[in-house]
Amino acid sequence: MSFEWLHPLLIATALVLAVIGAVRRVNLWRAGKPDRINLIAGLMAMPGRYLHDLHDIVERDKYMSKTHAATGGGFVLSALLIILVHLLGFDNQILAWALLAALALMFVGALFVFKRRLHPPSRISKGPWMRLPKSLLAFAGAFFVLTLPAAGVLPDGSGGVLLTVILTALIIWGMGELFFGMTWGGPMKHAFAGALHLAFHRRQERFGGGRSTGLKPVDLTLAKEIGGVLGVAKPTDFKWNQLLGFDACVQCGKCEAMCPAFAAGQPLNPKKLIQDMVVGLAGGTDANYAGSPYPGKEVGNAKGGPDHIITDGLIDPETLWSCTTCRACVEECPMMIEHVDAIVDMRRYLTMERGKTPNKGAEVLDNIIATDNPNGYAPASRTNWAADQNLPLMRDVKQAEVLFWVSDGAFDMRSQRILRAFVKLLKAANVDFAVLGDEELDSGDVARRLGDDATFQSLAKRNLEVLSQYTFSKIVTTDPHAYHCLRNEYSDFGSDALDGVEVLHHTTFLNQLVQLGRLKLNNFSGAKVTYHDPCYLGRYNGEYEAPRELLRSMGIEIAEMERSGFRSRCCGGGGGAPITDIPGERRIADMRMEDASSTGAELVAVGCQQCTAMLEGVVEPRPEVKDIAEILMDQLVDPSAENSRQDRLAEEVH
Amino acid sequence: MSAHNSQDLLRRDPRAEWIARNRLHPLHGSVVSADMGEVRGPTGLLRKNPHKVGFIGPNGIKRIDRLKGNAAGAGKGRRSSAAQDIQLPLHQVENPDFYVVVVPDMVGGRLTAHDKDVIGQAHKLITGAEGNGAVLAVCFGQSKEEHFDTAGVDRLLLLEDECYEGYRPEQRLAALVQVESAYKPQFWLFPDSVNGGSDLGSRLAARIGERPAVQAWLVDSDSTVCRGAGGTTDITRSTPRLLMLAEECADPIDETRHEALPVELDSVPAVIAQLQDRGQVAVDPNAISLAEAEFILSAGNGIHNWDQFHSAAAVLGATEGASRVAVDDGFMPRFRQVGATGTWVTARVYLAVGISGAIQHMQGIGQCDKVIAINTDAGCDMVKRAALSVIGDSEAILGELIKLAEDFRAQQSAGGDRDAA
Amino acid sequence: MQPNQFNVDAANKLKIVSLVSVGKHPQSGRMRRADQDSRAVELGLKLTGDNHSGESLVVLHAGDPGEPNLRSYAGMGLKSVRVLQLDPAADAILPLGQHLQQCGADIVLTGVRAESGESSGMVPYQLAEKLGWPIVPRVADIVSVKGGVAEVLQALPRGQRRSVMVKLPFIASVDSAAPEARQSAFGPASRALMDIEVVSASVDDVRQAWEEAAARKRPKRLKVVKAKTAAERFKAATAKSQGDGGKVMKNESAAEQAQAIFDLLKEEGVLR
Repeated sequence: MSFEWLHPLLIATALVLAVIGAVRRVNLWRAGKPDRINLIAGLMAMPGRYLHDLHDIVERDKYMSKTHAATGGGFVLSALLIILVHLLGFDNQILAWALLAALALMFVGALFVFKRRLHPPSRISKGPWMRLPKSLLAFAGAFFVLTLPAAGVLPDGSGGVLLTVILTALIIWGMGELFFGMTWGGPMKHAFAGALHLAFHRRQERFGGGRSTGLKPVDLTLAKEIGGVLGVAKPTDFKWNQLLGFDACVQCGKCEAMCPAFAAGQPLNPKKLIQDMVVGLAGGTDANYAGSPYPGKEVGNAKGGPDHIITDGLIDPETLWSCTTCRACVEECPMMIEHVDAIVDMRRYLTMERGKTPNKGAEVLDNIIATDNPNGYAPASRTNWAADQNLPLMRDVKQAEVLFWVSDGAFDMRSQRILRAFVKLLKAANVDFAVLGDEELDSGDVARRLGDDATFQSLAKRNLEVLSQYTFSKIVTTDPHAYHCLRNEYSDFGSDALDGVEVLHHTTFLNQLVQLGRLKLNNFSGAKVTYHDPCYLGRYNGEYEAPRELLRSMGIEIAEMERSGFRSRCCGGGGGAPITDIPGERRIADMRMEDASSTGAELVAVGCQQCTAMLEGVVEPRPEVKDIAEILMDQLVDPSAENSRQDRLAEEVH
Repeated sequence: MSAHNSQDLLRRDPRAEWIARNRLHPLHGSVVSADMGEVRGPTGLLRKNPHKVGFIGPNGIKRIDRLKGNAAGAGKGRRSSAAQDIQLPLHQVENPDFYVVVVPDMVGGRLTAHDKDVIGQAHKLITGAEGNGAVLAVCFGQSKEEHFDTAGVDRLLLLEDECYEGYRPEQRLAALVQVESAYKPQFWLFPDSVNGGSDLGSRLAARIGERPAVQAWLVDSDSTVCRGAGGTTDITRSTPRLLMLAEECADPIDETRHEALPVELDSVPAVIAQLQDRGQVAVDPNAISLAEAEFILSAGNGIHNWDQFHSAAAVLGATEGASRVAVDDGFMPRFRQVGATGTWVTARVYLAVGISGAIQHMQGIGQCDKVIAINTDAGCDMVKRAALSVIGDSEAILGELIKLAEDFRAQQSAGGDRDAA
Repeated sequence: MQPNQFNVDAANKLKIVSLVSVGKHPQSGRMRRADQDSRAVELGLKLTGDNHSGESLVVLHAGDPGEPNLRSYAGMGLKSVRVLQLDPAADAILPLGQHLQQCGADIVLTGVRAESGESSGMVPYQLAEKLGWPIVPRVADIVSVKGGVAEVLQALPRGQRRSVMVKLPFIASVDSAAPEARQSAFGPASRALMDIEVVSASVDDVRQAWEEAAARKRPKRLKVVKAKTAAERFKAATAKSQGDGGKVMKNESAAEQAQAIFDLLKEEGVLR
């Protein structure tokens, strides 16, 4: 083979260009706001995170995980060996054979990538991504041939000029895609940005099986500063590692396939949103985007730059308000990108700086501010629902084992049925409990998801102050949204009110009671039952088992929906979506009810009053919707009746 | 009339009964034949008209007339309207020591219920004060009111000149200032209403430098309780000279008759108006906000013919509302949604077509006075809530209703403002 | 809802003053941005073409500049709120009148009635009397200002409107039927400048003697039957109450059912 000097030079050039590109890319990310991250520890943990956390998610699709392991592993290995063998000129047969093996592995992997790309599903992006398998094949193939002489398979200098030219062309193509493209914005960017994203992820707690779902608080001192911005107006207002995260996207479209708003034809596509963020951080237009658009919106009109306001030209605010914050996209993302954080960050700007919460949003926020509940009811009427319940008030008893957090369901006549059912169960199990009564305020969930973090923080602080006056070891609530706030989001405000307190959802708590034998239940003899996982209970807090165990304890065999557990589809009621009410082609709740109906179930068991309201809003005929507490109450073996019967028996014996 | 009459007293007319019994009496035919239960049919057979048999007894139950129409005369002895015939005692004020001036709204040229309450309050103030006071009503614009006397007006100042017609607060204020100097009234009373009372009262208060009590609802000659802070507090204060009174501040006059003596006012200077009334603007009932609307025709899942629904709303003059489902399905815009998750409405009449009544919807119509339901399901919550429910096909019923309303509109345009009340 | 294109003489830059007070939420009693006052600011923003430089629209308050809820007006997109600092118990009419005269306002917008305090709605009238300007109460919209004359839509009961022409300068009180105020954003609200001017005012002595308490519920007027005869008294005592438990018509023909509905509508007087 002639021109022996040529290939090392090409490799060196490609590497140098890649490094320049990398520096340039890193500078784009560094335009973001600083965030406290231990860089060294992150880098050290990165390979482990890749092999564990990321791979666990990819592993959900076996075909793709094997393909990716072969291609990616082969590539990383061969890239290192190419540098050793071809650039630095180590003349070692073992290295050369190892390189050949790595390249062969990569080649086989690339073949499977190629195969998948023959009939790609609609969720994955086309465009440059269609080229990638060919580039991989070119890279692996060309270097394989190039390495044969070094391995001693072919004599040095074999092959003619033609072969050299062809090989050189393939190498330039392959390295252009894989080295140059990696840092200059080609499809392979995902490897570079993705690796660093794993290292410097904003939610380090998510690795190693952890869960981190609470939104990060806004620094409200920015509100007093001239020129300060609350939330994210421009791409540079994101934290730098958020920008890095956007760049890590592989456009696999798993998020798009899961997104309830996308399925309902609302103008949101999480994948496109992340790609628009990339357009924003790098500057330019979305003309090169080759995936599904936001439903009802054409691709090519969005323009942005690092210092351009995102909602003026890059993203339509409707897109941001379509999100139900159900986290299905985040749960599904193999790159562990945080879509919901980004969306809420931008909503914060719209609400707190622009005052542009759409539809009923402004009214609801005003109500929350003035009355501490979203519908503007008199705060003193919060306990009206329990007028006949004789509930112990914390104000009177000062301490109890369980604090029952009633939530705003207290004002809604449908939710009150759930609350009454739960109280009956608590009484039946002789639980020592109390409620806050009128001292309880809205948890702040809706305000926070609508972007009004100032109101959320005010509510959180006032709630914490009330809580700190009393002694209790558990908080139990029937509302997963309040549960999430109390459990995951109240800890940012420097209060010790919840230290050592267990925050529980009522299904978890009831399950404990049933397991302890404190609640006796009859077997459920009704029709087929399915269970709908509330997002804020399941994906946000990982509680999938307790509600199912409760149902099973009544002898119910759950007819699971196709999408259940961590893949459960949202009811459409989260994130203030029913308030901002962005029109789509269908309603999310209708789709979810179809999921339920298709199991043949006649009863949908739910653990959330918001889900109950949304699903019951579907036009009949449809399965009945009941909270688990209501189902339990119906199956409750009445202890008083039981006792009196025993008493009677006892009397008869005497 | 008939419903009213049935409550009236039965008075026997012995002479008529006697004539009815006496078939030979010359007047017998005229007394009996009118209400005969028997008619000669077309074939010459004598037919009984079951509707004419018997009469409605004093307690509203139908009685069969065993006298075969011979006692028909008895029924005729009813006094047509006893209440009207009773002359209420006349309350006269010869030479009043002082005046309490009431400026009623006179919506449509007649005293409103609010006006009558205010006049009642005026008399209460006179009773509480020493001396012989008279209520002077100052009425602007063309008056159609015929019962100033039973409403309690002692003196009546009618200012019906052209210059007071329409929205002329400045000219009216000038007249009131004239009244102030001519009569030096002890109290000025205005209805605190959006129909002009509050406006005129505030203008006069600012002009004569009085500090008025507004939304006053418990007033005697010494102290006044009025609402403050947007109706959330009660302010107790000594009674000022000028009061704007809340609705139902006092009971209207109903046991006395008053003179309603017309009085005149010296010439009122013509004011150069800075406000120029350009008249009412036609407002489409659908442009009225749902929360404000008085009459809502609301559509739910049971509506299939939407064109018909819209035309029904148009001809009835109703504001359109909708259930959540109708909105979600895209038949109605979101701002039309009624309910806890939509708009809370305050309509006096709420006509719900094909809405079974989800709990959120029922919460939203909690403040409605009269609910009418058209539904196919007699067991639904809306029917339980409604004052009148009709069970049947909404399309057919709406069709009939449109016909009735169109006839009514046609009559209306033919008959002019005969039914202005 | 009604698309109202607003037009102003381009040459004639209007100076609008929106007078605001601290409101009180009817349910919670908590201090807030007053509903009608914020509509007055909204209308002012509309009239000045959303030019919130603080040049053409002045949002003016007389009272305590430290009141945090004043900022929620600024959250509608204002750079500053002008405050005439005086004792909350003082009578604000005199200093307000002077200030309005000095700043050369063309249109002064207020709410109809304040949500706190005496809530008499007299402020616009007293200012108008003091300044000798016309007052238009209960304005729903200002349609146009041309040649020093404004066309104003007045809100009448049940959503009706009346058109009134009025010469500048004038005072208008803004009704709840006026377009809803835009959302108040937390950021701009916190950053806005409180443009404070200390003024002196006489203390409102009259009010000192008043007693204030939470509103008592007013009893609903009962239908008193004044019976004149024994029979009437008997009937009144024994009659079934009018509150019929809802009439249900099931088997009648559609025409009869429609007639029943129609009769009820007529009886209720909603067919006009």
